[in-house]
Amino acid sequence: MTVLDSETRIDPEEIRETAQRFLANKVERRAAWEGKDAGCAALEAEMAELGWYLLIVPEAQGGLGQSFEALAPIYEEMGRALAPSWLAGTMAAIDVLATGGHAEALSDLVGQGWRIATIVLPAGQTPDHAQVRIVGGADRATHLLLIAADGSAARLIPADAVGVSLVPVETWDRGRAYAALSVEGEQGSLAVDGSLALAVAQAHGDLALAWDSIGAASQCLSETIDYMLGRQQFGRPIASFQALKHRAADHKVALELARALARHASSAFARRSEGWAVLAAQSRILAVEAFRAIGEDAVQMHGGVGFTWEYNCHLFLKRALVNEVMDGTPDQIRDRIAAQVAAQAMG
Amino acid sequence: MSDQDQTHALRAELRQWLARNLPADWRDHQHGDNLPGFLAAQKAWFARLVEGGYATPHWPKDYAGGGRSLPEQIAIFEELARAGAPRMSLFFVSLYHAAMTLVECGTEAQRARHLPAILKGEIWCQGFSEPGAGSDLASLRTRAVRKGDRYIVSGQKIWSTLGQFADQCLLLVRTDSSGPKQGGITFLLMDMKSKGVEVRPIKQITGDEEFAEIFLDEVEIPVENLVGQENKGWKVAQVTLSSERGLTLVELTERLALSLWRLVAAAGGQERLDTQSARAVVDIAARIEALRAMLATLMSNRMSGQERVGDASILKLAYARLSRDFTALGLRLEGLAALRDTDYILGAGYETGNWMFDFLNSYQYNIAGGSNEIQRNIIAERVLGMPREALV
Repeated sequence: MTVLDSETRIDPEEIRETAQRFLANKVERRAAWEGKDAGCAALEAEMAELGWYLLIVPEAQGGLGQSFEALAPIYEEMGRALAPSWLAGTMAAIDVLATGGHAEALSDLVGQGWRIATIVLPAGQTPDHAQVRIVGGADRATHLLLIAADGSAARLIPADAVGVSLVPVETWDRGRAYAALSVEGEQGSLAVDGSLALAVAQAHGDLALAWDSIGAASQCLSETIDYMLGRQQFGRPIASFQALKHRAADHKVALELARALARHASSAFARRSEGWAVLAAQSRILAVEAFRAIGEDAVQMHGGVGFTWEYNCHLFLKRALVNEVMDGTPDQIRDRIAAQVAAQAMG
Repeated sequence: MSDQDQTHALRAELRQWLARNLPADWRDHQHGDNLPGFLAAQKAWFARLVEGGYATPHWPKDYAGGGRSLPEQIAIFEELARAGAPRMSLFFVSLYHAAMTLVECGTEAQRARHLPAILKGEIWCQGFSEPGAGSDLASLRTRAVRKGDRYIVSGQKIWSTLGQFADQCLLLVRTDSSGPKQGGITFLLMDMKSKGVEVRPIKQITGDEEFAEIFLDEVEIPVENLVGQENKGWKVAQVTLSSERGLTLVELTERLALSLWRLVAAAGGQERLDTQSARAVVDIAARIEALRAMLATLMSNRMSGQERVGDASILKLAYARLSRDFTALGLRLEGLAALRDTDYILGAGYETGNWMFDFLNSYQYNIAGGSNEIQRNIIAERVLGMPREALV
């Protein structure tokens, strides 16, 4: 990946403003919870029109040649809006293909509008024999990028190939679609360098989930504070009680720490500068754990109404619980990077 | 030269200077040293820094070593921390709180008298907090009454850092009790050798005596030692309190990052790290990196005048909690061995060599400079927009 000069770089804050406006108009975050269609297809069609899928595709393949820093605000705003779409699967695959120099696959991806579910398989599985119980966004995928957990192999497979089965799975997070995946047998597919695919897909996925969590957590905290400002008990807004203020302040600190690290890690990943893989993983740990704590406490801070289906607390809580364990629990991520962190500490 | 090149050049120059001037064996000397030894080492190191021009980057240009930009000041603190140099404990209040207060609010005569003296080693302490005025500083009660060309001051101050060694004191006194409490406060400079000043060191839970109480009994202070105007001292105090501009946290965070190896070592070394300890180290390392990133953003916002309200409180609280969790983890990982009351290194950061000392000492960051609870109130009220609690 090349470092962009300032002339071709799109200002991430402009991208954020566009994303914020667009998502505020188009996402109906309660739709799926009220038994209606979440509108994922229409949303993704418009995201394509906005050029989002072209952002990090190299210019030689008809893309806009931007770095990960252009995607970070989109992930964050999608999190804030509780958007139903899994953009990161396709984006991580583009990142892998661009890094590996797979020009032809990228051109096909752009030309034919591929949507990709990128999956680091459970340990011991291979891209031609895999079973994954819950894959985000796989119901709408035209292709799957399957990566062995040890980096020994990676393959890009059409989702309609013989031997591939994708079955929708209902989860507690109704706001996003999930599917179970099974792959049996040799596929006519594109082989990708496994260790490269593993490193890039993992870091991209970690940062996407980190930003999604940061966006959602800050929205959840802000809606919770709004509620506490309006809710009167004992003749005053409950937001004036120190017991609640101190909890909110602690959440804000955790959130801002996660945001600062995610920003630093995104910049390191975009430039592939030293330590990017560890920084991405650490960002994800801080972000998903902050989101989970905020999601949990939001229900409590709302009191009785937080316990109802009608209020939105549970939308955030359920998403937080999925984000926390998607493609690996925080402890699994810690174990993944622990040796590197200890080695760095010892200089 | 661009700002970035200039900072880069400064770092290179300072590293070379450190290689020549930082005594390689200072830790050995300070390990288990006594108080006179500590003071002598502090004075010798300070004199070298002054001579090198690295003690006063924040002073005005007309002083040697002064006139450096904030990025250059940050670079100096980072390089000193990374080289593992001793902290400037004994002279920090003189260089920052006292000097910056005089530069911004003092008279020409006060500056001429004290700034050169500070470079020669004049030691200052701060007389702000009182037993009855901690978080609620403005309720301070030490009284000053003007008689002719003197103020007569009586009262009690507490938590003066190394006050027992100070030559001079930045003193907040009450000159008017009739109106709002911030309105009747006056800022004075007090010679610690004045009649009626008694200083008692406070023995901390670490056994160290890093703070002092100051008792004032009819102490006479010349009116020429007034800083700003009578009853307008609260504003001057804000200048004093913001004088270090976040550089302390830059230094402490950098020292924390450099001490990460101590956690790995406490767990038995890189090869023998068990799963639980390894995970805990990952989390602390992540928080240190996050804090560094947050600090970098704050300092750059500060330079461009875009600092957001409450950011400093978020950072302070994040650092305070990290310092506690870091040292608590070291204590836990090392187990019983950490509880031996061994000698430690005076003037170090988190490399004192004794986890229990560092753990106990971490309370000071959680209380001093606005306790965690005060920071939470500020964050809740000024950042999150939650109302003040009804005062009874």
